[in-house]
Amino acid sequence: MADPDPDPTTSRQRQSTFKRNGHINYFLRCLRALPTAAQGSDSNRITAAFFCISGLDLLGALEDKTTREQRHGWIEWIWSLQAPTGGFRGSTFMTTPNDKTSPAHIPSTYTALMSLAILRAPLDRLDLPGLIKFFKSCQANDGSFSPVPGDDIYPNEGFQSDVRISYCASVISDIIGDFSGIDIDLAKSFIGRCKTWEGAYASRPGVVEAQGGTTYCSLATLSILDRHTQTQPECQILPQETLRWLISRQIGGFQGRPGKLEDVCYSFWCGGAISILGHSNLINRDADRTFLLSAQFPLGGFGKEPEDYPDPFHSYLALAALSLTHSELNAKDDNDGLGLKALDVTWNVSLETAQWLKDEISRVKGVSQS
Amino acid sequence: MSVATSSYIPLAERNLWNDVKPIAQDDGPNPVVPIMYSEEYRDAMDYFRAIAAAEERSERALELTETIIRMNPAHYTVWQYRMTTLLELKKDLEEELQLMNEFAIQNLKSYQVWHHRLLLLTHISPQDPSFEIEYIHQSLLPDPKNYHTWAYLHWLYSHFYTLGRISEKQWQDELRWCEEMLRVDGRNNSAWGWRWYLRVARPGAETAKDGLKDELNYVLKSIHLIPHNVSAWNYLRGLLRHFKLPLTPLLFAILPYTARPSSTLPEIPQDFDFATPSVPLPNDTPLPVPLALEYLADALIEQGSNAEAGEVFSELSTQYDKMRAGYWEYRRRECVEE
Repeated sequence: MADPDPDPTTSRQRQSTFKRNGHINYFLRCLRALPTAAQGSDSNRITAAFFCISGLDLLGALEDKTTREQRHGWIEWIWSLQAPTGGFRGSTFMTTPNDKTSPAHIPSTYTALMSLAILRAPLDRLDLPGLIKFFKSCQANDGSFSPVPGDDIYPNEGFQSDVRISYCASVISDIIGDFSGIDIDLAKSFIGRCKTWEGAYASRPGVVEAQGGTTYCSLATLSILDRHTQTQPECQILPQETLRWLISRQIGGFQGRPGKLEDVCYSFWCGGAISILGHSNLINRDADRTFLLSAQFPLGGFGKEPEDYPDPFHSYLALAALSLTHSELNAKDDNDGLGLKALDVTWNVSLETAQWLKDEISRVKGVSQS
Repeated sequence: MSVATSSYIPLAERNLWNDVKPIAQDDGPNPVVPIMYSEEYRDAMDYFRAIAAAEERSERALELTETIIRMNPAHYTVWQYRMTTLLELKKDLEEELQLMNEFAIQNLKSYQVWHHRLLLLTHISPQDPSFEIEYIHQSLLPDPKNYHTWAYLHWLYSHFYTLGRISEKQWQDELRWCEEMLRVDGRNNSAWGWRWYLRVARPGAETAKDGLKDELNYVLKSIHLIPHNVSAWNYLRGLLRHFKLPLTPLLFAILPYTARPSSTLPEIPQDFDFATPSVPLPNDTPLPVPLALEYLADALIEQGSNAEAGEVFSELSTQYDKMRAGYWEYRRRECVEE
């Protein structure tokens, strides 16, 4: 906690114009094509797409900068990812005549559903019963979720079954207003066991240290599940140590763990977690903004840190972080705001989209019941 | 869109593959975020889709999965296919582990690499996992804070302990190794977390029985070595919280870091036998240490001296830790309004 005070005369501060048009163009470019270097994202293209589409949503540019035909085309591509078993695949990368080659994937299901909502796609084609079955096939005996359904050879208790997947399954259940795919008590006890000696949350129980991203996922999951069961919020039991740990991660921007460097994405993970605890006003918003804006790439987009090349993940999370403290809702004045839409911090989409999604799910359920 | 490299021979031109009809990716008329695949990757994926659709388990399928993994280590389907194929063909899993050793060096951040390794170790199930522990220790040297590597080390110990294959000597050796990691870098938060597991959280850990005082002294000495070390302070607070102990009895050990005027500092009692700071403090320690002020304030709250605690928080907010001014002001209000 002994970091030097931010010096207002540093060059970072002077180069702090928000490159709004650059960011819009960056997301539009990525939606058109990603370079060969992005081959490692082949299995999760829908997640890269979500970052771009949601980024345009936060910038309020989606309607103006894309055509109805384009958006319609994207919607069709996303629906093509819905698996016959329920849930969505991460991409068309393994689609063959044999459905077994391309199972649905929980994080991809979350980003696909959010992308459809941002694009305002009618959700009548969403396979709701399939989603429930899909979640059931992914939850392990220890309460965790695997990203894809487990089997004898690839069991669903394992390294990849961490709090990120619990988060995605909980948010989707929250969206569809149906938690019957989740054993809630087990899911909560799994998260509870991820709490570390530091008072924040690790990826899995017993893993040696807490991390900003896993702490966000844990708090968001607990807040959703507690709200649903109307129990004493678990994250409100001893939240002070968690808040202390999160606040201590700010060193200008935020670091993900003690002793690590600032990284754009942790401004969202830590800032978001602080907001879930109800204390977004305790973030040093000026220092955070200065760091985030310094990580802008000259042609648009954000890298992980200043001077880094941009990628959709860091570009979106930078905007989401800025929205927490500098959206139209909390800007101090016209110069302070960045023209960003306000964020639903738990679902991680604009409040506008979250509201549309709630209404749309009610409509779809009403149709199916009548 | 891709650029052909001169040395690449397409699979279609290789005898091994001429009986397979590749399945091209169907990305539809409106692909979102299409990737400009390299020729090699596209070619390999066309054949992999065909192999996977036919559920072919073969040597050439293994080769193909390795080719793809080298280009895209996050390809979860290809990893799963590889594991299933290895088991069905009853391949030598030790050999696979060797391949992974080479592989991990380049792909330490891929979840899938570690998950695959975990499954291999589960199947090989060695009577003595020492060789694997040694390997993980080695791979932490160049990257001593890698989250996945530490998570895997934790899995190794808990898995093989459950099987009754971790001896008391191995636990002791591991603790010594961890202490060496902390000696080299006292700020390595992962190593502190590993110490917590070894000393507090693991089944049979000694701290829970009679090692608590030693543990408190260990962390106090670490603070005396690096007074601004966040990880050590967090460890100290974690211990006190875990064992439901008050902060006040240890105040003497950290008061010098609060830089109160010496006239206001109480004498250290004769019977105080916890590690105390060197006198004088090392010259290169900027004072006060905000973490010590926070400790002092929390101890004052514990003693019911909320107004005094509020003053300390106020100092943090306005002078010594302005980055978190809002938080310290919140703490101040909270304790004076109660």
